[in-house]
Amino acid sequence: MKTDVAVIGSGLAALAAARTVQQSGRRVVLVWPGLSSLYFVFATVDVLGYPTATAADPIDDPAKGLAQLIAKQPGHPYARAGMKAVEDGTSLMLEWFKDAGLAWEGSLNRNFLLPTATGAPKPSCLAPASMTAGDLRRPEPIVLCGFVGYQDFAPELAASNLKQQWKAGEVSAVRVTAPGYGPDRLFTSIDLARSFEDATFRDAVAGQLRDKLIGDGARVGMPGVLGLTTPNETFAAFQRSVGHPVFEIPTIPPSVIALRLFDRLRKHLQEGGIEIIWAAPAHAADVTDGRCRSILLKAAGHELPVEAASYVLALEDWVDGALRAGVHTVRDPFFHQPVAWHKVPTDRAAESLFASQPFEQIGYALTDRLQPADENGKPLARNVFIAGGAMAGYDPSGTKSRGGMAIATGYRAAKEALAA
Amino acid sequence: MPDTSTGVVVIGGGSTGAGVLRDLALRGIDAILVEKGDLASGTTGRSHGLLHSGGRYCVNDEQAAIECVEEGRILRRIARSVVEDTGGYFVSVTEEDREWEPRFVEGCRRTGITCERISIEEARRREPALSKQVRTVFWVPEDGHLDPFFLVVGNVESARRRGARVMTHTEVSGFLRDGDQVTGVRIRDSKTNEEGTIACQAVINATGAWAGLVARLLGVEVKVVPVKGTMVVLSRRLAYAAINRCHKPGDGDIVVPGLSVSILGTTSAKVPDPETLPIEWDEVRRMIEEGAMMLDGVTTARAMRAYAGVRPLYDLGAEAEGREMSRNFAVIDHQQRDGIKGFTSIVGGKVTTYRLMAERVVDVAARQLGVGTPCTTAEVALNDREEPLDQLRHRPSRLGVPKPHGDESPLQPLLCECELVRPQDAAPWFKDPAVRDLEDVRRRTRSGMGPCQAAICSYRLAARLVTDRDVDGPSATRAMADFLETRWRGVRHVFWGSQLRNMQITTGLHMELFNVDRQLSEIPEPGENLPPPLAGEGQGGGRTPAEIAGQR
Repeated sequence: MKTDVAVIGSGLAALAAARTVQQSGRRVVLVWPGLSSLYFVFATVDVLGYPTATAADPIDDPAKGLAQLIAKQPGHPYARAGMKAVEDGTSLMLEWFKDAGLAWEGSLNRNFLLPTATGAPKPSCLAPASMTAGDLRRPEPIVLCGFVGYQDFAPELAASNLKQQWKAGEVSAVRVTAPGYGPDRLFTSIDLARSFEDATFRDAVAGQLRDKLIGDGARVGMPGVLGLTTPNETFAAFQRSVGHPVFEIPTIPPSVIALRLFDRLRKHLQEGGIEIIWAAPAHAADVTDGRCRSILLKAAGHELPVEAASYVLALEDWVDGALRAGVHTVRDPFFHQPVAWHKVPTDRAAESLFASQPFEQIGYALTDRLQPADENGKPLARNVFIAGGAMAGYDPSGTKSRGGMAIATGYRAAKEALAA
Repeated sequence: MPDTSTGVVVIGGGSTGAGVLRDLALRGIDAILVEKGDLASGTTGRSHGLLHSGGRYCVNDEQAAIECVEEGRILRRIARSVVEDTGGYFVSVTEEDREWEPRFVEGCRRTGITCERISIEEARRREPALSKQVRTVFWVPEDGHLDPFFLVVGNVESARRRGARVMTHTEVSGFLRDGDQVTGVRIRDSKTNEEGTIACQAVINATGAWAGLVARLLGVEVKVVPVKGTMVVLSRRLAYAAINRCHKPGDGDIVVPGLSVSILGTTSAKVPDPETLPIEWDEVRRMIEEGAMMLDGVTTARAMRAYAGVRPLYDLGAEAEGREMSRNFAVIDHQQRDGIKGFTSIVGGKVTTYRLMAERVVDVAARQLGVGTPCTTAEVALNDREEPLDQLRHRPSRLGVPKPHGDESPLQPLLCECELVRPQDAAPWFKDPAVRDLEDVRRRTRSGMGPCQAAICSYRLAARLVTDRDVDGPSATRAMADFLETRWRGVRHVFWGSQLRNMQITTGLHMELFNVDRQLSEIPEPGENLPPPLAGEGQGGGRTPAEIAGQR
């Protein structure tokens, strides 16, 4: 098969790259290695939550924070992608979300401060409209609501923490019964999300909430399970029925909020005629004379070559197999280049789990055009571009910047691929 | 803490101390167990969990082998709910191993260990993962897997049902004496530093590698040699049975299957201090290389964590060191040896022989107290019931097919999917004052010990601290973070391959989705200390054996 651009990956970076190529009118093939487990721990697009991995104060204006970061660290992947890619990529994605029927909000000039399932305020730049009424910069009292027997969102834990960390308003916790579910039955967030699309179920939950005599002006925080395939309608109907502003909080995996996003965007690409190659792990890049001739996929025991004029490699870090860690050497799966070497594997892991992790920082060295570079800074292949988490030198966990980086680099890599 | 009194104070909450407590309780002697950490948090919980047939010791340590044979048979009778009866193989790989074989066969014969040489084809049929390098295979049906946590908890709960008390996270800081008679102990809460005393007629020192430190508080010497052993946990089961190298016991020559994982063990290195057990990369590497000589898949399976424990070898004065030292045990009657009345130490030994060790030391203490009731721990089942417990009720069967769940719904909610722990398995422990943090819950339920290493269940457990124990959110969050950090300390020593993929889900969830890293900076330390249970709530003790068995 021969196409203009082959995009490899299933995360936000791959989707942004595929959309960028699609919008340019050129042909794109999306090679989808399978649902990455990171989906299940994703919800919002975090552009830059904190200036460094350990800074205490959240960033209010991500555009300003980014400008400072880019000025200070010219080698940072955000600096290589450039401010324009952040801005244009974000606009492209917000428009796409709208076209695809996803209601999202936010701008690069203001972070929301949204409560998490542990009751921590977290800075996020773009979020589903169903989450934004939880913004802690607003003062209205909050009632957090869980379900009897549901372990994956704990309103009591979250409320108790939020009371301590958020000084602006009142917080309380309630639990209601989800009809048909209880402590004696195994059920997941996805089961609840499907049930919420049923009006009887929804109204039974809302009715119990109304009976809880929630105070005037209070908003209700629910686990992020308000609908799966028709979230907009489900959310609006539920909020109407409750009679208070409602917001969702992402649960422990599976995160329905992430599934909605990724499923809808992927389907929208398919509806637009984009070819997708399913569940084939990348095996090698065939490089001659400094150009990649094909990417070999391993499928059902044989190698399947994908040929394109240029390539965007957008696997998201370890979870997608973007990097392969041997005992001492970390290599990438395309060029099999060593990207890091450690005397002992323990060197990859900080002593504390919650510290900035060395392993998060491992990845491809890049040229200014986001090409993967060798140790001398020369591109490994002129027509290959990197996007997403597998870039050296940044820590998405500490700075809360995975989504923004994925969009900026996905957009920029696609632009470069189109120009190559 | 309030002062109290009892007949016997047992120091040490490992298998020996727990066995001693139960033995005392069965003889009708009032007792309190005092443990500075949690039950099974020292040597026992850091063992590899091999229920020894005795084959490992039958050549060089005949007495220890004979004890293993007898005690293994007793444990299969009294503690069926904690024994996974897998059997084991002794396999020869090198020419040197082949030379060991006649001595091994002769050792088994002399010590009464059932041992049968089987053809290599038959062995491969039973254990397809046996490495191509394996040349000879002996089947030793009485090797097995012993869950060290449930063994200790089972003993302690059995004793509690008979009125014994247990104080965890409580350190003995000194002794009360009246001349040469020990009359009690001074205690200190390790978490709150509150102090108190327990008056008693006798003290049994069952602190294993720490026995010398405890004896020193009385000015007497007990020579214990702490010998570190490092183990590596693989995230899947490579063999059904225990696999031993047929040679002189050495490093990395056992692979123990335990429920869903395989444990590679172990190394042997003298350490100056039983508290400080650094895991060296060379040890981890050696475990994997040696394990790979016996089983295929050792190098490709995901190494899930590494941990180190300390053997409490007793210095009998011989020249021997480390592995050469006997795995025998000794009862030290300090009245006879040092002229101190009411103090007895039990040292050496191993988890497999814990019951016998307890019997012997309680014999001495009971005689001193004038109690003539004989020991019955070899007859009375740990769960106090006749019928065997189906320990694998919630586990995949050996064929990998889920077992029928009887009259229970097959789709019950789980608190920990990896270890198949249900919410009701954890619930009683939140009411138990001996349970002070989430690590304590883990040891009693196995929650957090599986492939995801607590990424998921840590949140659910923290949530229950708030709802079931009235802990505030910040303390519960700190407990959750501490729990994850403890798991992480074992994980980071085997940080290659798909381990990184797995841990990125943990950091993705707790840092990117929850923002726990920033939340922790808002929570003052120490937050790990959980308040006692609500007034009027019962203890976790006295639970039925079925409840305890259900935890597996």
